[in-house]
Amino acid sequence: MLEIRGLTIRTDGRDLVRDLSLCLPGSGITALIGASGCGKTSVLKWLAGILPPGMQSDGQLLLDGARIAPPDPALCYQPQSDALFPWLTITENATLGLEIAGAAKREARAKILPLFAPFGLAGCEGLFPSQLSGGMRQRAAFLRTIVQDSRFVLLDEPFSALDAVTRIRMQDWLLARLAERPRGVLLVTHDLHEATGIADRILVMAGGPGRIIADIPVTTPQIQRNEAALAELRETLKSLLLKESPQ
Amino acid sequence: MLLRILPTLTLGLLLLAGWEVYCLLAGVSPLILPPPSGVVRALLLNRSEIGAHAASTLAVASFGFSLSVIFACLISVALHFTPWAERGLMPLFVISQTIPLVALAPLMILWFGFGLLPKVLLVVLVTFFPMLLSLLSGYRQTPGAFVDLLASMGAERWAIFRRATLPSARASFLAGLRISATYAIVATIFAEYAGARRGLGIYILSAKNNFRADLVLSAVVVSAVLTLTLLGAIRLVDRMTAKGPEARRDA
Repeated sequence: MLEIRGLTIRTDGRDLVRDLSLCLPGSGITALIGASGCGKTSVLKWLAGILPPGMQSDGQLLLDGARIAPPDPALCYQPQSDALFPWLTITENATLGLEIAGAAKREARAKILPLFAPFGLAGCEGLFPSQLSGGMRQRAAFLRTIVQDSRFVLLDEPFSALDAVTRIRMQDWLLARLAERPRGVLLVTHDLHEATGIADRILVMAGGPGRIIADIPVTTPQIQRNEAALAELRETLKSLLLKESPQ
Repeated sequence: MLLRILPTLTLGLLLLAGWEVYCLLAGVSPLILPPPSGVVRALLLNRSEIGAHAASTLAVASFGFSLSVIFACLISVALHFTPWAERGLMPLFVISQTIPLVALAPLMILWFGFGLLPKVLLVVLVTFFPMLLSLLSGYRQTPGAFVDLLASMGAERWAIFRRATLPSARASFLAGLRISATYAIVATIFAEYAGARRGLGIYILSAKNNFRADLVLSAVVVSAVLTLTLLGAIRLVDRMTAKGPEARRDA
């Protein structure tokens, strides 16, 4: 289990996030939703160890009760864009995390190549990102993230740049991959449909300063999640967000 | 390829034809304005002499330019990792660009003689700054998501620089390289003009003193060819080292 204790993030003399605490289980998707500027991306960046230089933070991060300092190999981060390096092939992009962790090029390739087919990227090994569609690029970015074998995955609006159809396909695809290799996922999103559609639990954040105002489990089984079944939950989330967001 | 250079070629030929016709009809003395055909004739007749001077100019320019590239790369990396040094040194580099070459070139000859050193120093002085600026600007264009991604993977500053910052600056570096290459030949000729034993600069000075406008213009044509040769070499390196979308840009 991953636990954040008493996280405060400051910038320009004001608290962006104040005394935030939460626990992430070792499997399942936890969605973090909230209005723009409430600090949810800052929380994610703090977890990833990439808080911008102008921000200061206080707080503890514990993995199974032991204190860790981000960035930690137990957590891997996927930014909002796919962040695939245009001058590297998909294979070279996918092995980046492994190489930085100290794996030799050959060893990293040997680990990554068998995963191309399950990730729907067979035949793309030697291609460059600009030669792939949006969905394929996103799958390549997931491959780079998943292959790092971290216990927790931090996703910053990973589907926001995709069209509606590709987004739905990618969400289903992500659920299937997580079913194969369970991880704890913290998903930052603006999209209530995405949060209610794929998350097992939804944390609602409010701003000024950032804090969690609701922790709602999504108990409806995946197979039964449709518009009607989730309508009430979405209404609850919508009213919570509207109540906490100034006009 | 032919289609791409067709407008330039057509415009160039039209200008040359206009120049030739003007000389023919206006009866201008060739001592003042030789026609293009006269320039070509002078170039062909004196090709071995001009060729020898051009080779000397190209050697000096290439050496100075190469040194400049190495310095610019090393100093840009040092400045990237020490922002306080960049803040302190950049004004000095800017001031160095305000020194008129016309004042500096003779002083360089006076201080360092007629050898290679003053000419190389002038080429470095002129070509270093555009390259340094383009490198630093290229480093700053690194997408934040690339840096964040590598940092979240635990990459150290040097690894982030090597894997994301340096490749991101490639296009900017090549643009600076092209600008500096055009300055390199001009700076060498200027340095030779101030004082040298060989080179197009001293050849132009001697031709001017002998009222041989046709030879002066022949040397100008050769200097343009030398600049285009340097630019061609850079383009070749660009194509040979391009990866991904850049490699297919001209395909």
